[in-house]
Amino acid sequence: MRDRLKTLAWLGAVLVAFTLYPWAFPTKLNLGVVIVLFAGMATAWDVLGGWAGQLSLGHAALVGIGGYTLALLSLRAGVPPWWGLLAGMALTGAVAAVWGWIVFRLRGPYFVLSTIAVAEILRLVAINWKDLTGGAEGLFLRELPRPFGLDLFNRTVEFYLVLAYLGVALLVAWWLSWSRFGYSLQAIREDQDSAMAMGINPTRTKILAFMVSAALTAMGGSLYAIYLSFFEPHIVLDIGLSVELALIAYIGGAGTVFGPTIGAVVLLAAGDLFRNYFQQANLLIYGILIILVVRFAPEGMVGGWHALVRRLVRPAPGVPVEVRGERP
Amino acid sequence: MTTFLQVLMTGILTGGVYALVGIGLSLIFGVMRIVNFAHGEFVALGMYASLLLFQSLGIDPYLAIPLITVGGIALGAVVERGFIAPIIAAPEHVSILMTVGVGLVISNLLLFGFGAHPQSIFTWYSTKTVRVAGVTFSGPLSVSFLITLAVILGLYWVLTRTEIGRAMRATAQNRDAAELQGINTGVARMLAFGIGVALAAVSGTLLLPVLYVIPTIGGVFTLKAFVVTVLGGMGNVLGAIGGGLILGVTESLGAAYISSGYRDAFGLIAFLAVLLLRPAGLFGKSRV
Amino acid sequence: MRKALLVALVVVLAGSLVSTAFPAPVEPLRIGVITSLTGRFATFGKMQMAGYQVALEEINRAGGIKGRPVELLVEDDASTVPAALSAAERLIAKGVPIILGTYSSGISKPLAGYMDRQKRVLLVSGSADDSITKPGSEWVFRAKSVASTYASTLFDLFQYLREQYPAIPLNTVAILHGTGAFETSVADGAVVYAKARKYQVVAREAYDRGLTDFRPILNRIRGLNPDILFMVSYEEDAVAIMRQAKEVNINPKIFAGAAAGFAIEPFIKGAGDAAEWVFSATSWTPDVKYPGARQLYEKLKKAAGMEPSYHAAEAYMALIVAADALRRAKSLSQEDVRDSLKATKLMTPVGPVEFKDFLGFKNQNPIPMVVEQVQGGKFVTVFPASIAPGKPKYPTPPWDKR
Repeated sequence: MRDRLKTLAWLGAVLVAFTLYPWAFPTKLNLGVVIVLFAGMATAWDVLGGWAGQLSLGHAALVGIGGYTLALLSLRAGVPPWWGLLAGMALTGAVAAVWGWIVFRLRGPYFVLSTIAVAEILRLVAINWKDLTGGAEGLFLRELPRPFGLDLFNRTVEFYLVLAYLGVALLVAWWLSWSRFGYSLQAIREDQDSAMAMGINPTRTKILAFMVSAALTAMGGSLYAIYLSFFEPHIVLDIGLSVELALIAYIGGAGTVFGPTIGAVVLLAAGDLFRNYFQQANLLIYGILIILVVRFAPEGMVGGWHALVRRLVRPAPGVPVEVRGERP
Repeated sequence: MTTFLQVLMTGILTGGVYALVGIGLSLIFGVMRIVNFAHGEFVALGMYASLLLFQSLGIDPYLAIPLITVGGIALGAVVERGFIAPIIAAPEHVSILMTVGVGLVISNLLLFGFGAHPQSIFTWYSTKTVRVAGVTFSGPLSVSFLITLAVILGLYWVLTRTEIGRAMRATAQNRDAAELQGINTGVARMLAFGIGVALAAVSGTLLLPVLYVIPTIGGVFTLKAFVVTVLGGMGNVLGAIGGGLILGVTESLGAAYISSGYRDAFGLIAFLAVLLLRPAGLFGKSRV
Repeated sequence: MRKALLVALVVVLAGSLVSTAFPAPVEPLRIGVITSLTGRFATFGKMQMAGYQVALEEINRAGGIKGRPVELLVEDDASTVPAALSAAERLIAKGVPIILGTYSSGISKPLAGYMDRQKRVLLVSGSADDSITKPGSEWVFRAKSVASTYASTLFDLFQYLREQYPAIPLNTVAILHGTGAFETSVADGAVVYAKARKYQVVAREAYDRGLTDFRPILNRIRGLNPDILFMVSYEEDAVAIMRQAKEVNINPKIFAGAAAGFAIEPFIKGAGDAAEWVFSATSWTPDVKYPGARQLYEKLKKAAGMEPSYHAAEAYMALIVAADALRRAKSLSQEDVRDSLKATKLMTPVGPVEFKDFLGFKNQNPIPMVVEQVQGGKFVTVFPASIAPGKPKYPTPPWDKR
């Protein structure tokens, strides 16, 4: 129980720290919005990928559905964006339910492959079905209603919106860290057969995890659409985005509450900071990092941090080495 | 009617090359249970290597094939030893992420080395056509198809008639049992990966005269290889031939008669349909 | 003590005399530039930079703007939207009076949206998509041509050929285009013009990027026997299309290319003899009859270190226009810069520049395009007659008769 509250306290601290960002970096709001948004979406990915161990390389599809739903409802039917956002979440939840039902019956790499295939098909549909989606030209969100007089296109307003989104995502991850559902996900991830022996229904549990992950991702997708205001299929439905979310979550630390957030902050901030030296080497560095992480530090940056802390925190002198059971 | 035949022939010829791209992936999965997400990048590497040989030394791509094959096996062996073998016991999403990382590194190194602009070569046979009974099809594509057949037959011979081929098949069936028989499964796996990479690279070489290359083209090939492998059955090397042909013909007919904008979708839909209805593939068993 | 004070006084007096002899250095005027130095569009970014360099030298040799030397603050958008938006934010924070940007329409669109909301002036230098200035905004300007001009220029050519060669029927069009935003919008324009000028569109086929085999589509189009094959493709596909067109033996009377892919050197190199006779619309060629076009070509070639594409010329034009507007502006406030741009009336080696509102466009320069044709393995500018030195060769002979 204490651990649970400690994590919650950290969660609150992180969010409070972020609220100071627009005051500390008023000329880097675009970057700030992107970092927080991707942190949220990576956390959403992690629900399925890290906690349940089901690697998805097609999450861009969910981002896209979220974004397009909000945009199309707003442009074609004048639906205010907050309802559009909820509609997007509901739609992706339903898509995930069907998709998961089809694919989670299979073991092995089939889920991963299916995610790539479905995302690609969705991208092709978005490009070709012009009457519905505006085609390759994309959509332009010119005007949006102003809730409480707030301009949704103002970067500061957007920052606090995505921060609220990150808060929701982190709360979901926190909930997974102590809830029975979270434990079933981890059980499935570690050993599906033993989990079944314990009475967990793997297919149903995986579908539920997928639905949660999908709806949460779609929420981010809707906010992404507002941020871009003018977007095309190849920006929000691209496989590169899917891979990026997966890598951010993994390098930061999959299956942990703060891992994906740390990954997003470090990778995206460093990318901006070193842009004069690294430029497009961003992806190359992601590739190298993921190889290193997978090979040497499978728990990502979070795991690396814990290992570092363990090594630094020496026990009090005078305690015999043998009692601790460790080699000097 | 000639249009239909032309479309069909093109589908078959392209399908042959798809088969070559997919066979390597199927072999790797069969022997090592690894889904190589960098497979398309090795195809791109083959294309760029051939491009380099052609532009700097004037070596024709077809003549470069033996060189590319040897290079491919060597590269594959190194990658396997360095990156795959250490994580062979880990859960499967680990190998997926590892190969995704390797793929990213390769495609970005290609970007740095060769630049982002599309490049192609122009040989004396690039625009030559073969005309049979009023049906025209691509000269280089036909030659590629024949070479593909030869390569596949060669692979079949290696797998069934040589010691190392038998070792690979034994490792594929049951690694522990193979070890007990005294087979060095480590070497078998290393060679399987090497051959898989070589097959990918050679298919790239064969495609260069008829296509262009950009550093990001790897991703497209990886996806095609997946479709071929799933259609044919993961681990079913001969099935990959059928998978390739089906993919080629489906795309060709779909693009010509239904909608060319959705051309890539046809293969993907077939892919999903097979996953849903017959995950072991259309041509027999694999291990699900 | 008194001696020290005297020395100090002398030093101060001497210093002030010296400083009046040498006036303080003039603060340079910094213009913001966003372009793709890295990433997928790096080759185009390089071309843009060459154009900017040439223009910059010219501007500074003529004394800069109101006596101040001009400098460029260049930011890389890494061919992605988030980087471009961050770059704009940085440049705005540095207080530049105007920003020039970028190549890709997919990036320019969100950038234009952002600049409009920030009420800062953007001069689009490399993107052709209609929707950037249609409906556009009061803060977004574009001096280069728009995507739909590709189609209108080619259909003007067809009309000209119809009139010059009335015996040859020219009635049916087959359209082949990539599924990207730019290609689709040009194809849409082609359909509109075809209907307006009484051509029948017998086919309209789109293909997705990637491993592309055009044979199935070309085969099908061949069966429909069109008079004109209207193609909208980027470089990689243009070469493949023409090669495969030869293979499939499709023989329209006109091969018309309506995008960058057909108008640049690598197209001829890549397609070889299959490129001959192909018409393509483009914004600018070295031999177009604008004052100083040839000299500009030489300078761009030197700056780029290779054959320059029209993107370099467009970038050059944008910077020249920006400098001209800043010279005339009452102050460097955004409102005054905007109003000064609006009043532009300039002739450049790349064409005339004026910003107008027409046909739903806002702040768009109605600059025409030219058509070039591959004749004898080289590009020759053939249309419209008023600015083209060459003549179109027509009709296109079938492949087996060449």
